[in-house]
Amino acid sequence: MSDSEDLELQALQRQLDDAFETTRPRPGFEDELWTRIQARRPATTRLRDAWLGLIQGIREAPAVPIGAVAVLLVVVLGVSVVTLSGVHIGGGGGGTASLSAGGQQYGPEAGRGGPPGAFGRLPSPVLSPGSPDKTADSAAQPTFTAPSTSYPGPVTLTWTGKLDLAVTSAPVFRYSEPSTNTADQFGSSLGAILLSRPAGYLGSYETTDFSVRVRGSVQSPAREPSFILLPIRALAPIDAAGGSADVAVVFLAQHSLAPTWQYTPEATTSGDQTKVLLLRQFAVTGYGYAYLVDGSGERYGLEVDLKGNTPTLATGQLPLSLDTATYPIITADEAVRSALASSPPVSASPTAPSVALTSAELVYSLVVAGDHSFYEPAILFSGSFTVDGKNYVKRVLVPAVDPSQRSS
Amino acid sequence: MLADRPQFEDLYRAYLGRIYAYVRAQVPSSADAEDITAQVFMNAYQAYARFEARNTTPAAWLFRIARNATLDHFRAHGRRERLRRTIEHQPMAEEDPSGMAEERIQYRALLERVGQLPERQRDAISLRHSGLSFEEVGTLLKCSEDAAKMLYHRAVKGLRDAVEKEGV
Repeated sequence: MSDSEDLELQALQRQLDDAFETTRPRPGFEDELWTRIQARRPATTRLRDAWLGLIQGIREAPAVPIGAVAVLLVVVLGVSVVTLSGVHIGGGGGGTASLSAGGQQYGPEAGRGGPPGAFGRLPSPVLSPGSPDKTADSAAQPTFTAPSTSYPGPVTLTWTGKLDLAVTSAPVFRYSEPSTNTADQFGSSLGAILLSRPAGYLGSYETTDFSVRVRGSVQSPAREPSFILLPIRALAPIDAAGGSADVAVVFLAQHSLAPTWQYTPEATTSGDQTKVLLLRQFAVTGYGYAYLVDGSGERYGLEVDLKGNTPTLATGQLPLSLDTATYPIITADEAVRSALASSPPVSASPTAPSVALTSAELVYSLVVAGDHSFYEPAILFSGSFTVDGKNYVKRVLVPAVDPSQRSS
Repeated sequence: MLADRPQFEDLYRAYLGRIYAYVRAQVPSSADAEDITAQVFMNAYQAYARFEARNTTPAAWLFRIARNATLDHFRAHGRRERLRRTIEHQPMAEEDPSGMAEERIQYRALLERVGQLPERQRDAISLRHSGLSFEEVGTLLKCSEDAAKMLYHRAVKGLRDAVEKEGV
């Protein structure tokens, strides 16, 4: 066997290692299956465990009055009997309960492409307070910007653009909040070992070349589970044809981090430093691709910072599997009315500058909601205006999911 | 003897991902892989009382169950169709678009190629890259350790040829 053939086979074996190490079931499957396995236990075993658990609980709480223990005992035993008999009390509330209704959907079909409203009523996406009216300069250059200034006062809105929404429904995507186990698997897929679990993070990992931190969803401003990769020592420059976006993608691919979702690359260079954003998009049948926007209406996705061709940082969304459900969405007219209704009437603020919203597009916005969070469709309106010689951009985010399907 | 055995839950947590990956390399959809993986651990849970750590490693024991469950699946779910696709070099049935986010595309393509190898070669690669030793692979495939090594290397070369021929 020639040396080159040997190297080829070794490379293939490494790819196989990576493929098998990174192929894992969707988040949530592990716990779902464990619940099913537990449910297979004989009733006597479950009753015994419930009893032992109760005794253990009483031992750990010696101050509980005997009378209360007796009452608790009756309640717990009652619940145990009901549970063992397979009777479920109450219908449950919220999106999770509605998806798992019937209790038999364990495969990926559960919730994917299901009937409208399969996730139940959805919380609504909103722009972060205080961030919508950005300076026009910062809006044009979402990266490498100075902190943007917001227009402090109210504005009155008009609509002069054209919004075509040929679709009457759009997918909503949902992910389960990752566990430390998920984060550990992600770290392992990078060849990194767990160092610690710092406060606010699912884990901190390290290889000889770089460190990685993984965190879960952040409520406000809403951010999905993410990672940040920082070199411990200077990484080797990436040899890639094309521009810095190609360099970034090659670097991500080398670490099995290349996005599996649709994106549009965007690069901003300052001196010898370049920030590459792979702006995430979601496919909407009949519309095309809709960008994911953050709490200030900015598009975002994965980010790779480069110095020349050498990566200095990579950060972005943790790869997570998504469930999908289709929801009815509002019409273009309804979206415009909602956008205009978000400003106070002229009579209430006669001195407020008038802003003409001139463009609108379907976007996706993250709504963090506990165990399950959602990427929901929304209409992002924008228009620029000038006050005291300074240009601003006004953005209004209107939830696109039909109000009958929203909880707020 | 019980002291020699890990708690079943520990075993479950430690091996779920690897068993899933092994199964996923054999079947064309993540839905099938989840169903089979669930069956594997259901069966393992039922049989755990009879598992003896002296005779085999937990990994080899679980992968034996996984292999049997996968073979059962093929017997029950149109092995013929799968073979037809392999012969015609057609891509496996694509999952719904949301499934694209589940696994990295390039690795899925590679695993699909693994899934199109002859059965024993496919098993040799899948078991080896799921972390089993050649001795364990040989035991599962009912051959010697050396034969398992030869089978594996033949399989990797076959995979390389397939990748070169059609690309991944």
